[in-house]
Amino acid sequence: MKKVTRNRKAIVAVAGALSLAATTLMTAPAHAATTKLTIWSFGNVIDTSLQAEYLKLHPEIEIVIKKGDLDQHHSGLKNALYSNVQPDVAAVELSYMGEFRNYSKYLTDLNSLSPSATTIKDDYLPWRWDQMKAPDGAQLGVPTDVGGLAVAYRVDLFKKAGLPTDREKVAALWPTWDKFIEVGKQYKAKTKSNFIDTTGAIFGAVLNQGTEKYVSADGRLIYSTNPTVQRAFTTTANASNAKIGSLIPQYSPDWGVGMNKGTFATILAPAWMLTYIKQYAPKTKGMWDVAAVPGKGGNMGGSALTIPKKAVHAKEAWDFIRWYLAPEQQTKLFLDPKNGAFPTTVSAYENAKVVGYKDPFFNNAPIGAIYSQSATTLKPIALGNKDRTIDNTFGQALSRVMLGKQSSSAAWGQALSDIKRAVG
Amino acid sequence: MSLLQKAKMMPSRKAAGIHAHDKWGFLYITPFFTIFLLFGLLPILFTVYLAFYHWELLSEANYYVGFQNFSELIKDPYFWIAVRNTFSIFFISFVPQTIVALLLAVVLANPHLKFAMFWRTMLLIPWITSVLAVGIVFSQLFGREFGMINVAMQYLGLPQVDWVGGTIPSQVAIATMINWRWVGYNALIYLAAILAIPKELYESAEIDGASRWQTFIYVTIPQLRNTLTFMLVVGTIGGLQTFLEPLIYGGATGGDSRQFSTLTLYLFEQAFINGRFGYAAAIGIAITIIVVIISFLNYLGSRKIAGEEGVKS
Repeated sequence: MKKVTRNRKAIVAVAGALSLAATTLMTAPAHAATTKLTIWSFGNVIDTSLQAEYLKLHPEIEIVIKKGDLDQHHSGLKNALYSNVQPDVAAVELSYMGEFRNYSKYLTDLNSLSPSATTIKDDYLPWRWDQMKAPDGAQLGVPTDVGGLAVAYRVDLFKKAGLPTDREKVAALWPTWDKFIEVGKQYKAKTKSNFIDTTGAIFGAVLNQGTEKYVSADGRLIYSTNPTVQRAFTTTANASNAKIGSLIPQYSPDWGVGMNKGTFATILAPAWMLTYIKQYAPKTKGMWDVAAVPGKGGNMGGSALTIPKKAVHAKEAWDFIRWYLAPEQQTKLFLDPKNGAFPTTVSAYENAKVVGYKDPFFNNAPIGAIYSQSATTLKPIALGNKDRTIDNTFGQALSRVMLGKQSSSAAWGQALSDIKRAVG
Repeated sequence: MSLLQKAKMMPSRKAAGIHAHDKWGFLYITPFFTIFLLFGLLPILFTVYLAFYHWELLSEANYYVGFQNFSELIKDPYFWIAVRNTFSIFFISFVPQTIVALLLAVVLANPHLKFAMFWRTMLLIPWITSVLAVGIVFSQLFGREFGMINVAMQYLGLPQVDWVGGTIPSQVAIATMINWRWVGYNALIYLAAILAIPKELYESAEIDGASRWQTFIYVTIPQLRNTLTFMLVVGTIGGLQTFLEPLIYGGATGGDSRQFSTLTLYLFEQAFINGRFGYAAAIGIAITIIVVIISFLNYLGSRKIAGEEGVKS
């Protein structure tokens, strides 16, 4: 009997966990919608104003969105792919692509649809397109955005600290990550306040400036030997030990408070991060600017939209995806002052409106020029099956360093043995 | 459960064997057993089966591994951290929860209390609140930098506490969420038990000149023995399932050093984050074994208490 209760409770708990942080946004149209399109996503993958625009064009469609946080969304999606209840459209984030692109048995090959995905392929950045290409050649997703790296910084706080505020000069302060940490120390000494929101973010940035991270191009696991991983880890640990970051986790409620209060002066910002900053700290409009990242450019994040095999409305889903991710819409999204996701459609990089776009929220920084330059020079990083697990395990290790619970080398050792257990 | 206990206390029927009209009884219990079979028994059997496999969702290669999952589990330090956390969270939630609930119940049992019904209803409000909502709100209250509790402590000149990173503080925070939700419910159960205590006992205590405190210690508490045992049993089983609070508070690993990873959370992490369903099934079986052991200890304890009572009456 007790066992039964336990199992029942576990089921309830799992169901709860899936709906945890999951908000169901229903758009109830005034007209009679006949087709209910279910979309599972996370973060800002589906933009509400673009969604509303689509509904205006298609009165027969009703869109139901289920949003969860990154890991919950993907584990929920995996369970759904195993079962019969599947959404019509599902988002897959870059750190999960290495895994999900193997699921050609569970995700629709978009090349097999009509019109075939091959007809739109040339609109997109080739390497982003190929990230959702299954080993058997099936195309399982269409890329949403590309996250070229940059640094968002608070002009007012830099001024107070006696640092230059001009974005070119700011970028010149930190040609390397070591210099970045130095500037952070100076800032902290002068203001007694934190330089960066979280030093943990440096890890992903350094990692994504390389060409390989956890797996080699031929698919071997190299997380323990790859010098880029080691360099990313030590750089981050050094930054933590220099105490230049706050201890606030990103996307937590405290993060928003800290951003509004100016508890930290910089945030590492792939293009999509600009949207988060606008959402979390709308009152800081005009106080920010964007400068180049230390080291060279890199891509961080970005997603793809997929159609599960058992989607009820696969045809409508495909219509939606083709419209939503078409060059016009991606451009529109980038130019929307509330957003900032950078297009994966190549025509955008020559579009004068995109390239010339200056964002008033970020002190009229030429973010169009900054991100399109980085998007065209970016090179893809080989994806692995367990990227996210490894990301998270290194992240926890670095968090222990940040909180002073472990030395850098002890944390590195524990991370490697944890990963070995989880991944092999 | 309490009904069951009462049923046990009633004199058992002498008549054994099934009469013809009793057969209809089977029809009445069919719906329950059908559902139990589908959603209770089958998953249990499948869990046992899974525990002997290397099993990943959406993977083509799932193979039999024998007892390997179990031998790994015994040597898994994270499993034992989860065991430790589960019990420590249980203790720091159950003990204060029981004390506060008892005191609340005594206050509510006072016949001179105004708006008694209102207060009793109020007690249940936390209990009907969704765990998700509780978790999210408390996570904000316990926020490291700008959480209300730390801000208040700073205001009072107390040192800042890392409610997420620290082992004991984080467990206290989680226990607080559990307590907040369950204190009222427990208080109502104790209240019902207190109201069932014969008035004569209190009257004679009063005549003997017992103080309120003495009445509480020597009359109320002994009379609540059965209820206390019952709450301990239910509480331990509930405590061993602590899951959603730590998940909302710090994700599936239960904090960066697993400082609040519990057993069910570890099961969840292995199954749904690391995709190791076989290993997770082995953890599930280990939890069951732990529950059985604890229940057996509870049973021994409650028999002892019941025996003592028998001698007294």
